[in-house]
Amino acid sequence: MIRTYLLARSNLRRAKGQTISIAVLILLAAAMLNIWLMLSMDYKQNFDRCHDRLHAEHVTLVMSGDPGEVRPFLRRALEEDTLVTDYYMGDSLCMVGSFAYNGGEANTELVFLEKEEALSRSVGRVEIVEDSNTGSGVYLPMLYKTGDIDIGKTIELKIGSNTMEFTVCGFFNSVMAGSHNCVLCEFLLTQDQYRELEDKGYALESTLLSVRIADRSASEDYEAVLKRKVSAQFPDARVSSNSYVLVTTSRYISQMICSGIVSAMAFFILLIVLVVIASNIVNYIQENMKNLGALKAVGYTSRQLIGSLLLQFTGISLLVAALGAGLSYLLFPFLNDMMISQTGIPYEVRFLLLPCLLTLFALGAAVSLVVWISSRRIKRIDPILALRQGIRTHNFQKNHVPLEKTGAPLQLALALKNTLSGVRQNVTVCVTMLVLSLVVVFSGLMIENMIVDINPFLYMVVGEMADSCVNVNAGIEEEFLREMEADADVEKIYLYHLMNVSHSDGAELMASLCDDFTKVNNQGVCIEGRFPIYDNETAIAVKYAREKGLKIGDEITLTVGEREADYLITGYTQLTNNLGKDCLFTREGYEKLGDLQNLSFYINLGDSVDLESFHERVKERYPGDINTTIDIRSIISGTASVYVTLLTIIVCAILLLSVVVIAFVLYLLVRTMLNRKKRDYGVLKALGYTTGQLILQTALSFMPAMILSTAVGLMLSGLLINPLMALFLSGIGIVKCTFMVPMGFIAAAGAGLVALAFGIACLLSLRIKKIAPCALLTAE
Amino acid sequence: MGKTLLKTESLSKSFSSGGAMQHVLKNIDLELYEGDFTVIMGASGAGKSTLLYALSGMDTPTLGTITFGDRVISDLNADELAVFRRRHCGFVFQQIYLIDGMSVMDNVLAAGLLVNKDRRALVKRAGELFDAVDIPPETQRKFPAQISGGEAQRAGIVRGLINAPEILFADEPTGALNSRTGLHVLDTLTEFNRQGQSVVMVTHDMRSARRGNRILYLKDGVILGECDLGNYVHGDAGRHEKLSAFLTEMGW
Repeated sequence: MIRTYLLARSNLRRAKGQTISIAVLILLAAAMLNIWLMLSMDYKQNFDRCHDRLHAEHVTLVMSGDPGEVRPFLRRALEEDTLVTDYYMGDSLCMVGSFAYNGGEANTELVFLEKEEALSRSVGRVEIVEDSNTGSGVYLPMLYKTGDIDIGKTIELKIGSNTMEFTVCGFFNSVMAGSHNCVLCEFLLTQDQYRELEDKGYALESTLLSVRIADRSASEDYEAVLKRKVSAQFPDARVSSNSYVLVTTSRYISQMICSGIVSAMAFFILLIVLVVIASNIVNYIQENMKNLGALKAVGYTSRQLIGSLLLQFTGISLLVAALGAGLSYLLFPFLNDMMISQTGIPYEVRFLLLPCLLTLFALGAAVSLVVWISSRRIKRIDPILALRQGIRTHNFQKNHVPLEKTGAPLQLALALKNTLSGVRQNVTVCVTMLVLSLVVVFSGLMIENMIVDINPFLYMVVGEMADSCVNVNAGIEEEFLREMEADADVEKIYLYHLMNVSHSDGAELMASLCDDFTKVNNQGVCIEGRFPIYDNETAIAVKYAREKGLKIGDEITLTVGEREADYLITGYTQLTNNLGKDCLFTREGYEKLGDLQNLSFYINLGDSVDLESFHERVKERYPGDINTTIDIRSIISGTASVYVTLLTIIVCAILLLSVVVIAFVLYLLVRTMLNRKKRDYGVLKALGYTTGQLILQTALSFMPAMILSTAVGLMLSGLLINPLMALFLSGIGIVKCTFMVPMGFIAAAGAGLVALAFGIACLLSLRIKKIAPCALLTAE
Repeated sequence: MGKTLLKTESLSKSFSSGGAMQHVLKNIDLELYEGDFTVIMGASGAGKSTLLYALSGMDTPTLGTITFGDRVISDLNADELAVFRRRHCGFVFQQIYLIDGMSVMDNVLAAGLLVNKDRRALVKRAGELFDAVDIPPETQRKFPAQISGGEAQRAGIVRGLINAPEILFADEPTGALNSRTGLHVLDTLTEFNRQGQSVVMVTHDMRSARRGNRILYLKDGVILGECDLGNYVHGDAGRHEKLSAFLTEMGW
């Protein structure tokens, strides 16, 4: 063991530079891996911890109506159900509303609760995190604590078609209704403010029901069952609900994005590390054939020699992986800050033993395996042969670039000779560049479709977008439509109304109904087949269809309350705002199931039209009949800016990481080449080659593999990136991505990557300057 | 005596060794002439190879000047020296130093193409030189590890001569060869010298030294003496005696 240790130490001393480079790459891989494990194993579990602490519900339902009628029915329904373990119902005021948030607007179903009542709920209580203890105002979910919204400031809430101002008194945590991503968003009002809102009648008197069930994974199904019962009994009630499954998914989209990207980066860097280590070991064996032969001759066994390499690399890996895990704790708070703006659930960074151990184990095991496989050839070294000949490092089979025949310039021809004689060097370059090409294409896709212009992303995840949405009472529909169509400010108006329906065999689906789907702005919603045209047709979410084995041409039975109807599936849709559980109907199609008490119209306005003035004008024209007016673009911008910021930081980080990776990989390759060819460089200098010429030759020798692998990598990545993105986003209901692949950007970035690599290789080759031809005097 | 090719004035070279300066060459004034086969002899550590590498522009002197024709080369920087070497000097090394990854022909052309861009003319010249040193075309296509030491050293001579240098510097060219192949290499050098090629050779081997017409004896960094042997004539016994007497006088 001591002998093995001494050998490992001697190897380390002789290759300090290479060791440091490999260590840096392992450090990055370990940090990424540990972050990914923390995100996967603990970050989302934080939701459950918070859920348990607040004894939160698995299904939330808010419904309007007289509590005297509603609550006995609900109580009966819940107590008859064996799945229900606990529940609580209390007063609330509920209405669709919006407020300024993150440079745009947040629009959601606002559920106003009286503060003391909310704090004392036995199920689904909230916890105050910050409190100014001022007498009168509103408490907001922690998610909304931004620079613009803070204690003491005033917030203007649009509640239905009315506006109220409140002083912000504090912030609270609510697990199931603490974000506009949860369908329902609770706001706590002090008693006086609650009474004032109640008196004004801007929001509907409602019952907020929080239900805990025995199996939380069945929360979606239970939500559908409960909603069906309620709708059947109270068809005119305004009902909104969410479930544990929906909330955990929707509040953790940023975690899913970060986790996916970090895991991919960890895997890629680890792959590069392993290729580099394998190449390094094979080189070491070739360069040190005589020494290894001598060691064998004096009695070292192959096992000891392999053991010294295992000790050297695995030892470094474990040590550096521990440091990498430590580094991840420095990086994680930044990531946490970014993600919390979407999750809204505070997460306290703490030491997690299991992810650390797994990181150490994964890196240690992967490195050990690669070292063992690469160093097995030591067993084949015959001490006598090795001492006599060392090793032939070149392939003598063929001279691929004979100088007497090649038409290439001398420097290029010599560089090509180097390239063709360095198989391992080329493999390492190819693996690195293939991986980095994918990173470049991914970054290009993000920049083009999300950061510079977020519309392609929004069209995919949000579905339909217009400038304005106006919800009107059914009675004024015809007059409203006639006037709007005649209005010079209105470019297009069409019915686009969201309702809920239930699939007889499954879950609650969000139904989008339209009078004519040829009018919708986003014709890409239907990704296969066609939009429904007749009243017996529907298009359903592809994710849901796959889960249930439904094909285009199949019939499904949908219900609303007691009414049900059969529909032919004409196409697949892809939306994420109900996490892949949605369907489309014509208006006539939906009316087979239910009547529309109010209708939402999507409106495209002229470029110069001021949306706020337009909304004011509409409200004045139809006093009492306009339920809500929504600035859709502003709402989307408010939500999207969180993702844009997150993705911008992620793209910058992975591009920076790519530069670091390429620099260290090249450092290792150039260093190895300079060591291996030190004598050749001396000879060439003696013959009259200048340092500049040799640097050029060295850097050029990496270019063929680099250019080829980058070009192949970019092309492959360009073809695969949309399917990969679909896989990546499958958790939120995406099965097919049609992002535009920015070929111009990718080509430029690819060229930039190669140019960067060339520049780095030139810089690293500056060491050639130190190689003196006269060193040949003492070289042998 | 031909015209002066290289001239040194007060040439000194010192190395720092263990904190102390080691003066390897001390105030050497020397002229090398066109067409000569100059041999530098001396005991181990006398500074022979250091002098050779200083004269050839592979190393820079600590003090003094080296003039090639009208040009002072001792003031040139590393890249200028590289250009000087490729245009005016050829080298033959004791360890041969052919590049393993290149065929024998490519080793020669890698040096030749630096100066002569006419690839066809260069290949023709290389062919002629290979013929002259008795290396057939099939050997030219082989890699260094596939040929014998003698063939490799003769290929090294071809590489040294490919750019028709004014001076061919040879550092112990037979040092790594057996006596028979060494003799072949010496014959080759002698023949090229006979055709007008100036040669400067470092050796401590009397049999090799006999090929020179001018013998310089170096001791402790200074030229202790020189001997004019006249042009080499095969089987000239008096030549050997004259060289022996000179070396004995020098304390060899």
